[in-house]
Amino acid sequence: MSTHDHKARVPLAFLLPGARAEVDALDDAIDPTQREQIIAYGLAPGRPLIVLQQHPMTLVMIDEVELALEDSVARLVWVTRK
Amino acid sequence: MTASAIALVGNPNVGKSVLFHRLTGAYVNVSNYPGTTVEVARATARFDAAVDLIDTPGVLTLPARSDDERATMRALLHEPLRAVIQVGDAKNLRRTLTLTALLAELGVPAVLALNMHDEAGARGVTVDAQALSSALGIPVIPTVATGGEGMAQLTRSLADARAMLPLLHYDTDTEAAISDLANRISLHAPHPRLNARGLAILYLGQDSEVEAWLSEAAGENGADLVSARAAAQAKGVLPAALAHERGEAASTLTSRVTARTEQASPLLAHRIGQLIIHRFWAWPILLGVLFALYEFVGVFGAGTLVGLMENDLFGNILNPVVTAFVREHIGVVWMADLLVGEYGLWTMGMTYALALILPIVTTFFIIFGLLEDSGYFARLSVLANRLFKLIGLNGRAVLPMVLGLGCVTMSTLTTRILHSPRERLITIFLMALAIPCSAQLGVVLGLLGGISFTATLIWAASMVGVLLLAGFLAAKIIPGRRIPLVTEMPPIRLPLFGNVAKKTVGRIKWYLIEVIPLFLLGTLIMFLLNQFGALPAIIRAGEPLVSGWLGLPPEASAAFVMGFLRRDFGATGLFALSHQLSPIQAVVGMVTITLFVPCIASVMMIVKEQGWKIAAAMIAFIVPFAFLIGGLLNHLLRAVWL
Ligand SMILES: Nc1nc2c(ncn2[C@@H]2O[C@H](COP(=O)(O)OP(=O)(O)O)[C@@H](O)[C@H]2O)c(=O)[nH]1
Repeated sequence: MSTHDHKARVPLAFLLPGARAEVDALDDAIDPTQREQIIAYGLAPGRPLIVLQQHPMTLVMIDEVELALEDSVARLVWVTRK
Repeated sequence: MTASAIALVGNPNVGKSVLFHRLTGAYVNVSNYPGTTVEVARATARFDAAVDLIDTPGVLTLPARSDDERATMRALLHEPLRAVIQVGDAKNLRRTLTLTALLAELGVPAVLALNMHDEAGARGVTVDAQALSSALGIPVIPTVATGGEGMAQLTRSLADARAMLPLLHYDTDTEAAISDLANRISLHAPHPRLNARGLAILYLGQDSEVEAWLSEAAGENGADLVSARAAAQAKGVLPAALAHERGEAASTLTSRVTARTEQASPLLAHRIGQLIIHRFWAWPILLGVLFALYEFVGVFGAGTLVGLMENDLFGNILNPVVTAFVREHIGVVWMADLLVGEYGLWTMGMTYALALILPIVTTFFIIFGLLEDSGYFARLSVLANRLFKLIGLNGRAVLPMVLGLGCVTMSTLTTRILHSPRERLITIFLMALAIPCSAQLGVVLGLLGGISFTATLIWAASMVGVLLLAGFLAAKIIPGRRIPLVTEMPPIRLPLFGNVAKKTVGRIKWYLIEVIPLFLLGTLIMFLLNQFGALPAIIRAGEPLVSGWLGLPPEASAAFVMGFLRRDFGATGLFALSHQLSPIQAVVGMVTITLFVPCIASVMMIVKEQGWKIAAAMIAFIVPFAFLIGGLLNHLLRAVWL
């Protein structure tokens, strides 16, 4: 199961608009304070999301929250497609 | 201060301010805690004149990390709180309850206002307030702050405010570490209102306000707390894990009390929100917004209103009366001059602040409030992010910069919304250098527009070029990391007139208190320079540079010195010379004046925000740089544009 999981893991920045996914992990390369904030915004491991747009920034919907992330951060958010 | 206070606490943008205004009367006192830049509003409660209501800044995470969060923590620690009203967003219950979980640990008596009930409903989200209330053990009141729904129930429920039931227990090791720390806190530094357990959790999470409070209260026993915390950390008790646990507990409770129905079609608000940042449609929409801004602030505010105030009210009525009165009653000439002379506190300082700038900032604040409440601003920062990335900033800096087009002095103060000191420094520097304020913009466009479109275009291109170049270099030179933009998009909403009006009034008041003293101080310095004959000397000293290097008439030197007093003055000074200026001279003059040091009031503001040293360094860079660019442009244009 773990190998399968690993394969399905992609950066959030790579998903197309409309895609549904679940947050897998936030990369350690994200600034620690910003990491806390991102989690507080609701982008936390295990949470489902829908990608709304990828331009000009990554825009995702988590429950009823729309969150915009710059590409450099969206590349560091690992998700699994659903 | 009254003996009892109630604080509104909650995540950002959940409707705290609207609720605050509903629950208080007209008189609101806005203040800063010592050492913080964040404003905390305070007013007497409508429902009980003995109670002070405090509107705290929004918290995203606790332990506190941002200035806003620290100010809120400070209110919890230091205010004589009888209770808190946690304001939460019903459509975002998880985040609300993550904060609730921490407030529960602190043991403050609370009620929960579940606000934005209307928006939750429109999205098919219903929260079972009854179930939530029994889970938390406190009153939970659904509200719509903007419509005034639930206000009576909310005030009534305050009588039943009590400490909440805990939302979670951590794992055994963590619990052991927390109780150990909590015991020590109870022993060395008991808080009159807050539970030691909650303080222990925040202290483990390195909340700087809690650290400061405990170390003061514990005195020499503070070392005991420090070593207990170090021991806990060594055992692997990590703050991030605690925050995660709270998030999980909030999630679980949220799923238990929330029901969702799938919506058939996306909301209109969603579609508009996406159009605003759409690849193609974003740009016509932005142009439309800028045009409206220009019409309302530039044409109506800076033109019509300033005309009425400056010429009709002050020029024709007030100033002659005040001048006559002062001259008649004050015999000492220099004292009379100080009030109503050429550089008089009244005739120059107050006239400038009230007749020229006040109408502009008022119209500006109105538009600003509209854009803020509609949800446009958050999206504008998304649009601008890529451009701001080039200059080491992120899209959030677009707000102060746009505001700078109104008044740089004022916008320097609003850089407080930026998250890092580095971003603040770069933004303040760039605004001082290359953002023309509205007073100046009017003169520049008037003069250059009268010459040719090309002239205006060269000026605009020079400004953008300098902004990008200087920003790029500043980002390289100023140490620290750029913080990428991650931001929430508030829903698109129709702004409410009452809400925008209240905000505008609050901001105007703040302008009058914060900015006007600086204009007066600036005027005073100018008056002294003039009294002691320093002005003509400075003007003469600048002449070789102005006529040689910049190729302008010698008289323009005075315009530069005056430009320091008032940014628009410099431009106006050149305007007065305009019949003598060739197109090249006009462009060079305007570019140099715009780049030249901002007005003296904005320098005072930079000193206030960044200290003397940084302000001096900025001026030491900006003045030669303005002349350098102006001179280069002069020589370039003479070579290619005949
Ligand atoms: N639809 C709706 N909008 C609200 C409600 N309460 C506040 N707002 C809007 O939400 C935005 C943020 O409110 P504000 O009071 O500034 O939030 P604060 O940051 O928590 O102080 C404003 O545009 C308000 O008009 C509500 O109950 N329903």
